[in-house]
Amino acid sequence: MIFEKISNSIEESKIDPFMTAILANRMDGIIREMTNTLLRAARSAVISSARDFSCAICTADNQLLASAEGLPIHIFGSHLQTKTMCELHDGDINEGDCFLHNDPYSGNTHAADHTFLVPVFFEGEHFFTAVAKAHQADIGNAAPTTYMAAAKDQYEEGALIFPAVRIQRNYKMIDDVVRMCRSRVRVPSQWYGDFLAGIGSARIGERRLKELCKKYGKETIKQFIDHWLDYSEERMCHAIQKLPKSELFNSGAHDPFGELLPDGIPLKVTLKIDPEKALIDLDLLDHPPNVDCGFNQSEACASASVIAGVFNSIDPTVPRNSGSFRRIILHLKDGAVVGKPKFPHSCSIATTNIADRLINITQAAFAQLGDGWGLAEGGVGLGAGFAVVSGNDHRVDGKPYVNQLHIASNGGPAGPTSDGWITYAIPVVGGLMYRDSVEIDELKHPMQFHYLRLVTGSGGAGKYRGAPGQEVAYGPIKEDMNAIWPCDGTHFAPQGVRGGNHGKKCSHFIVRSDGQEEELPNMVVVRISKGEFIRGNQSGGGGYGDPFERDPNRVLKDVIESYETIERANKIYGVYFHGSLADNTLTVDKEATKEFRKK
Amino acid sequence: MSYKISVDTGGTFTDVIVSDESGNENIGKALTTTNRIFDGMRNALKSAAFDRDISLEELLSAGKLLIYGTTRATNAIITESVAKTAFITTKGFPDTLVVKEGGKYNPHDFSSDFPTPYIARHNTFELEERIDSLGNQVIPFNYNQALDLCKEINRRGFKAVAVCFLWSIANSDHEKEMARILSDNLPDLPYTLSHELIPVVREYRRASATAIDASLKPLMQSHLYDLEKDLRCSGYSGDILVSTIAGGCSDIKSLIDKPIYTVNSGPAMAPIAGLEFSKLEGCGEDIIVCDTGGTTFDVGLVRDGNLAFTRDTWLGQPYIGHLLGISSVDVRSVGAGGGSIAWVDEGGLMRIGPNSAGAQPGPACYGQGGTDATVSDAAAILGYLNPDFFLGGQMTLDVKAAEKSIELIANKINLSSHLTAWKILTLSSDLMMKAISDITINEGFDPREGSIVAGGGAAGINIMNIAKELGCHRVIIPKLASALSASGMQFADIVAEETLSLVTTSESFDFEGVNNVLCKLQNKLEAFKASMTLYSDVPYEIDYIAEARYIGQVWELDTPLPNKRFLQQSDLKSFVDKFHHVHQRVFEVRDEGSPVEIMSWKARLSIKLDIVKSYNSDVTKAELPSFSQKRNCWFGGLEPISTPIYKGSDIPVGSVIKGPAVIEEPSTTIVVYPNMVTKISISGNYIIDILEK
Repeated sequence: MIFEKISNSIEESKIDPFMTAILANRMDGIIREMTNTLLRAARSAVISSARDFSCAICTADNQLLASAEGLPIHIFGSHLQTKTMCELHDGDINEGDCFLHNDPYSGNTHAADHTFLVPVFFEGEHFFTAVAKAHQADIGNAAPTTYMAAAKDQYEEGALIFPAVRIQRNYKMIDDVVRMCRSRVRVPSQWYGDFLAGIGSARIGERRLKELCKKYGKETIKQFIDHWLDYSEERMCHAIQKLPKSELFNSGAHDPFGELLPDGIPLKVTLKIDPEKALIDLDLLDHPPNVDCGFNQSEACASASVIAGVFNSIDPTVPRNSGSFRRIILHLKDGAVVGKPKFPHSCSIATTNIADRLINITQAAFAQLGDGWGLAEGGVGLGAGFAVVSGNDHRVDGKPYVNQLHIASNGGPAGPTSDGWITYAIPVVGGLMYRDSVEIDELKHPMQFHYLRLVTGSGGAGKYRGAPGQEVAYGPIKEDMNAIWPCDGTHFAPQGVRGGNHGKKCSHFIVRSDGQEEELPNMVVVRISKGEFIRGNQSGGGGYGDPFERDPNRVLKDVIESYETIERANKIYGVYFHGSLADNTLTVDKEATKEFRKK
Repeated sequence: MSYKISVDTGGTFTDVIVSDESGNENIGKALTTTNRIFDGMRNALKSAAFDRDISLEELLSAGKLLIYGTTRATNAIITESVAKTAFITTKGFPDTLVVKEGGKYNPHDFSSDFPTPYIARHNTFELEERIDSLGNQVIPFNYNQALDLCKEINRRGFKAVAVCFLWSIANSDHEKEMARILSDNLPDLPYTLSHELIPVVREYRRASATAIDASLKPLMQSHLYDLEKDLRCSGYSGDILVSTIAGGCSDIKSLIDKPIYTVNSGPAMAPIAGLEFSKLEGCGEDIIVCDTGGTTFDVGLVRDGNLAFTRDTWLGQPYIGHLLGISSVDVRSVGAGGGSIAWVDEGGLMRIGPNSAGAQPGPACYGQGGTDATVSDAAAILGYLNPDFFLGGQMTLDVKAAEKSIELIANKINLSSHLTAWKILTLSSDLMMKAISDITINEGFDPREGSIVAGGGAAGINIMNIAKELGCHRVIIPKLASALSASGMQFADIVAEETLSLVTTSESFDFEGVNNVLCKLQNKLEAFKASMTLYSDVPYEIDYIAEARYIGQVWELDTPLPNKRFLQQSDLKSFVDKFHHVHQRVFEVRDEGSPVEIMSWKARLSIKLDIVKSYNSDVTKAELPSFSQKRNCWFGGLEPISTPIYKGSDIPVGSVIKGPAVIEEPSTTIVVYPNMVTKISISGNYIIDILEK
């Protein structure tokens, strides 16, 4: 796939440096307002507490224009969804419409991301589409989770699918759709609250965009759209021109999955960087066909993840929109596990597992360019810290509850200048999401946590260290609780780059009431009774560079702060100490360190 | 004659405002002396006394009330010079202060290390104990371990202790037990308990506030007592109060108990000043208050005469700084000011900031070696600043250097220097406008329906353009604009606030429990009131506020209680109606089918302190004052306009000045743009009308 409209001669297109800056500032403000509305008015913790949602503005000709603060995995694809809206409703798109889209075959990420599309009209002309995309707590799947890893196909997945279905006309709700969802989605009042918040967010965007058009006039706005996309392309050109001309190849794999995928899913990316033409060519063609489970990538996710891998490896201030995407050429195969999915293969967990791995192998490929480039692999795996929990709450007359936790994080990847980010979550969100509070989770669900803490020595060692993973333990306080999660990273650890070590792998156990422990597989569907609990750890991020090159003072600090043990400091980092940790007298033994590191 | 004195010790200047019984106010300014705050304060007081033709001793001995605002606590946090503090938490949950609430700005930027926690992991101690969400004890308090912990804390020389256990708000027994053991074994060691300081759900918010508070106790205790001693030694015998981030002031003893309330207290005073100036000028009670400094632009809000509060005040950047957690006056700060640097990025876009020229070298026009073009340089080129009368003549501006810096940008975008400067100024106004939008529009406040009160040295340069963009028709620039915080202290009430957590819903409302909580809050505040013996006759009010949300939401909205108690069903109904109203205002939607859940209850005591103001100067008919000179100023056109320049001191009250014009005050410059009009009110403030074209 080649993005339309590669400008051949950037030099010719001159933007208005001032008006473009002003209007970009306004667009940013509009998206922030949409974001704030959705965050604070939503009901489910996955949106309101964890911020698993993104807002964007697309143009009438379906280019992604602005996406401030959006999650990397959500950003790319909004314009595919508005394109679907335009095609399916050609000639019947009017002011006051709102469409619900969650179809992974026509532009959405995965079915759980309900996307609200509001076409924005000014003086009768369709100018923009305001987009609010939010991960739902439940979408009426066959099982109480939005991640149906084992679903053989879309039928078994069981989600209600909305391929740009009109939910409002003339600013009035089409109640049929609401009733359909209420009859199917678990905890309908929670869903409806989120539904209202999503529409509210897109409508706020609509109102502000109309005010903007009125204030500046059609011509200025049209010119801004062109200028902003050209500007973003220009920034991308400069970023690519700083890279050496090269062809990079990297591979990795998703964990095995039971008998279905005993060897896991092999993943491959080939990157051709051409600074002269200012183009990056991403080849994802070498992938096996769609698999009979929920791991398949949607087009939006396959694209978003490798593009995120590129953005992680260049100047992070380049705007993310259809303008900068023009400098990326992407090759996707039809009907491949990484590519464009073939109906009815399920994409239920498209936004996380394989997508996380694709980001990792792409950013790690850049590290092949030399010291200073790329990143290590970030911690992966939606384990117990991200479980969807459900059951009945005895505290409120047995009312049902269902929600995804965001309580324990994987460690972020080390980079060429810094250690990994501790509250990274998973690669597809890049640390952007919020985390739950233990107290709020205990308040909202009849559950209790036993511990939540960082795991010493779990970050991949390196000149820069991957962030440690976290471990967590919890169980129900009275009635049984279901926990479902589609973990990765229990077999294949997040890799280090340039001599850096890998991070610790994920692992999970159920602890029975008699204290017996059973290790759980990576894909977990478990019922936990009173007296039992789950314990597990998320993975650590990969390290960057040789651990022997790590500044001994950083190692000292790691030991004092229990990110590392003295033994690991000696053995892996080659750093030795005087004094004692208990007495607060620990200092680096420079001689011994130098001596040991020579070997 | 007796005086009310307010003192705002900022990072650079100490501002003093002295008012007398007839409402006459004057200002004194001096450099802040960080080693001994009182020295700078004395110099500022001296200068204020000098203007009144009295001696410092006369001023101090006739002082009845002194309100002190300090950045001591804020600076100690920023410079990491707070006390060595131990953090005691529930076993199994040591990393609350490390992981915070998550979040990050740019998902693609991996160039920074993860921020260090407020209290290091090696100063964190886990104690075996556990309470659940219903207040039941799940794991008993381990007494022996607590005793060992005291020994360890003593051995390692900690100077303060912060205690935050999970669900201490549902059952505070374990925190109290820890307090008892600390008091018994380490009687001189100050500590803070989370359930006492900030009884709200969410362990990070409580832990962060508790840690900050405890870490400030040793130094704020000595700071405030030393100051009191210094004042007494200098002959001051009046009352001393200290301004707080809760938007009022309190006595020294209360703030030694809860020193976190002195953090950021200066900016919290500006909205109070804004409200008083707006009321005085008949400009209503919906006000946006802006304070423009050299490097930051602070925005606060007053709605229906009430300050806006938030629990989301961060020290440093959101997500990566430290959350104050306590309910504080909502003032947002953005890094934009006169020193912000303009540049053109590699895509050809004009940018302002985030880099700033700071105080050293400062903008190019300061002539201290700065070469980057700043917003101040743009203002200098446009003719707005008088090179010979900058800061009241304390500094001469190097316009040549400013021109040179702007030319660098002008060449890149192929425009004249003046047009470039105009665009730099406009773009920087736009960024400030967005900061105002964040706090107004996002909170359901329509700026078109309010007035702006602007203070700070750089306020007068572009606030009118900002107002125009926001659709706000009226701007007030107080005569004492450069000391907005000190002005606010002049009007501040004595404020005390208490919170208690009790979770209940409108569906099964705990009438008895809630009324008990409200009674407890009232008793606590009345006990505080009784301790303020000097103000026993002064009228006071207690307002009650619920932190409420629709069931299932996670973020609460402050909802004032229409009635002080819930005696019957109708009281509940009027409260629920009030909540729907608040939700609609902020989020544009209401969900009347949904029960309302209340997480905690707040009560706010205010003891009115204000001296009644009277402005008795007779206003003669408005006349057009004479201007001292004309100067070429640029207002976005190709050619300059010959613009009258007025000296503030020459303008009689009641005057009306049509733009374009420039008014020079000793500490600020006010630009009246074409198509705008300013008048000087009886009280000497500038009221600017933004006319629609």
